[in-house]
Amino acid sequence: MKLSELKVGQKARVLSINIKGALKRRLMDMGVLDGEPIIVEKVAPLGDPIDIVVKNYHLSLRKSEAEEIEVEVIE
Amino acid sequence: MKRIKVAVAGNPNSGKSTLINAIAGTHLHVGNWPGVTVEKKTATFKFDDLTIDLVDLPGTYSLSPYTQEEIIARDFVVKEKPDVIIDVVDSTNLERNLYLTIQLLELGIPVVVALNIYDEAKKKGYEINTNAMEQLLDIKVVPTVATRKEGIKELLQAIKEIANSPDKFRPRILNYGADVENALKIIENGIRQSRKELIEIYPIRWLCLKLLEEDERVLKETGFTGEEEFLKKAKSHILKAQEEDIESMLAEIRYGIAHGITQEVLRKKDGARIDLTQKIDKIVLNRYLGIPIFLAIMWLAFKLAFDFSQPFSDWIDGLISGPIKRWATVGLNALNSPEWLVSLVTDGIIAGVGAVLVFVPLIGIIMFLMTLLEGSGYMARAAFVMDRLMHSIGLHGKSFIPLILGFGCNVPSIYATRVLETERDRKLTAMICPPISCSARLPVYVLFIGAFFPANGATVLWSLYILGIIMGIVVGFILKNTLFKGPTPPFIMELPPYRIPTLRDLRIHTWQKLKHFLIKAGTFIFASSIVFWFLLNTPYGVEKENSYLGKIGQTLSPVFKPLGFGNWQATSALITGVIAKEVVVTTLAEIYVPEKKEEKEQPAFSEEIKNIFAGFVSAVGEAFHNVFSGFGISAWETEEQPGELQNKLQTVFTPLSAYAFLVFVLLYLPCLTFVFTLRAEFGWKTLGWVLIIYLILPWITAFVVYQGGRLLGLE
Repeated sequence: MKLSELKVGQKARVLSINIKGALKRRLMDMGVLDGEPIIVEKVAPLGDPIDIVVKNYHLSLRKSEAEEIEVEVIE
Repeated sequence: MKRIKVAVAGNPNSGKSTLINAIAGTHLHVGNWPGVTVEKKTATFKFDDLTIDLVDLPGTYSLSPYTQEEIIARDFVVKEKPDVIIDVVDSTNLERNLYLTIQLLELGIPVVVALNIYDEAKKKGYEINTNAMEQLLDIKVVPTVATRKEGIKELLQAIKEIANSPDKFRPRILNYGADVENALKIIENGIRQSRKELIEIYPIRWLCLKLLEEDERVLKETGFTGEEEFLKKAKSHILKAQEEDIESMLAEIRYGIAHGITQEVLRKKDGARIDLTQKIDKIVLNRYLGIPIFLAIMWLAFKLAFDFSQPFSDWIDGLISGPIKRWATVGLNALNSPEWLVSLVTDGIIAGVGAVLVFVPLIGIIMFLMTLLEGSGYMARAAFVMDRLMHSIGLHGKSFIPLILGFGCNVPSIYATRVLETERDRKLTAMICPPISCSARLPVYVLFIGAFFPANGATVLWSLYILGIIMGIVVGFILKNTLFKGPTPPFIMELPPYRIPTLRDLRIHTWQKLKHFLIKAGTFIFASSIVFWFLLNTPYGVEKENSYLGKIGQTLSPVFKPLGFGNWQATSALITGVIAKEVVVTTLAEIYVPEKKEEKEQPAFSEEIKNIFAGFVSAVGEAFHNVFSGFGISAWETEEQPGELQNKLQTVFTPLSAYAFLVFVLLYLPCLTFVFTLRAEFGWKTLGWVLIIYLILPWITAFVVYQGGRLLGLE
């Protein structure tokens, strides 16, 4: 399942990031790592971007980037 | 007497600039990092017998080779080799902040961690064992509350201790696991054998790590290809065990250590406290309320910025063009100065100073508001709410704010682009600001609408505003595919907790920007206003037609023939309109309806002084009145135009050529204040492009309007 498909309030674990280079490094630098638990907290009023909680802080990213992140629901 | 270099690193939103303001306050000097528009703050000050040269590095989450800020930060620490690094860490977000700390430790430079925002962490029930942290990392750790200046002295004390015995404080080498450590050993041996000189230049462990990560920049700088035997050997050593790329693997290892340390030193008591940020965001980012709240905040900011500052600008303008000019005239006359000199001093020099000073209230208030929005954490929310819309035209969510300010005045928009993270977004946003129709263009519209379109004034006015927006989008689209080609920077943004910015920060940032404007832009604006005086007034005393301006107008007017207004009068007005768009009206009036010189009565000196103070008091009153009154468009009000000028214009323009003229006024060259502020922020090259774009675009657009209109038989 992709991160972009999660519903608000769903908890999941990151399985893999399917991109390479700068974007992947940026996501990892921000704490989006394989195995990391995340929660989708909110979706912006216009439907994009989304707000997730990772490593105990709020991070927003666009759906186009969230599509590249494979997750599994854990709760 | 010892002198040391201290670099300050830290994540964005870690309170780094508040800490710097608390440490260095009035000593701060603000400039740009060479060649880029990233802000660089430096300060030199004394602590006991120690002289400290402080350099603020850009706020970064990491030291990857991908973002400009990160490259600047790491180039500085690697090449300038500071004696100490202060690493500002947000205590409420320990693990992610320690990820940067760990990368800093790779450099082998003594680090002092400032555990900032310590009060908030305590309130959240966090307990951080600083002793354990010091021992785990072999560095100094000092809790600080920068907003209240707590821990600053201890921080400086720690720096002093390190300065006195630096070798005692070399950070511990953290173990990255057997695979990586072995690979690093292989690389180190390889370098020692083949490229010994590199050891002098780079911290060896850092260099080995970067070569292992295949860091593009380091490879290029050192001349390694990545295909050297020892590098291949080192990499194969790791890749046998792992599938993913080494860069990702190292990011995971670093986060693993950060996680481990956090587990060791952080205790959370009664964790389930109500999080105020979450509560506020429930409302502010609500599906239905998010956009209305954003618009309400924008409306308020706009009103504060323009309506509140207007009376003060008017007061400054009145003071300069009234009493000060009169006093200068009296003084010069008393010295028997020639008439032209009086005119040069009053209409050139004093008016030039005035042109700069009238912007002070506006820019001051805008910078205050920007710092407030940024420091409170709302700016990130604004970007979150608006990103979808702005992204559809290829911009970042945060671009919305500078652009919307442009409707009041384009100049503060340039400063407001500072809220954007990447230089690309900052430049791109600033470059599409000019077609946003600012309030200075309104008097021109009003004059022509009154003369040519009295029946459908509103439609004509709206069409111009909308044309401006469309042209902004068009220019943005073109720039994105030419000058700013390449991938759009990703929108991966922290939504920081809401915090109350300190008055000290607001004051310091506002003053820094004002100083920047007065010195960097003001001098150019002042100088060019004197140049324009010469254009308008030499040879002195001749008719406007025979002044240099008139002659240039005559020479250039054929260029405007295909647009429908190829006469020297309109051309001259467009030239002076570069000073400020509303001057188009003044020049047209001076040419078509020359004013008869009248001797005004000179008020008594004491009377003048009294009036100045009374004027200021009433300006204060009016400013507050403006904020609390409805959407009074006081900033947009225009004086009644003399019918005589409009009658004259009707004989020169047709409705079609008048509209083409308005389109040209809307789109052509931004005013001088914008021009020089843009240069001060982004340099000559960006300015050059803006001038080229906004000379070609208006000509083409007005040409299409005029010739198209003629084809349709509108004339």
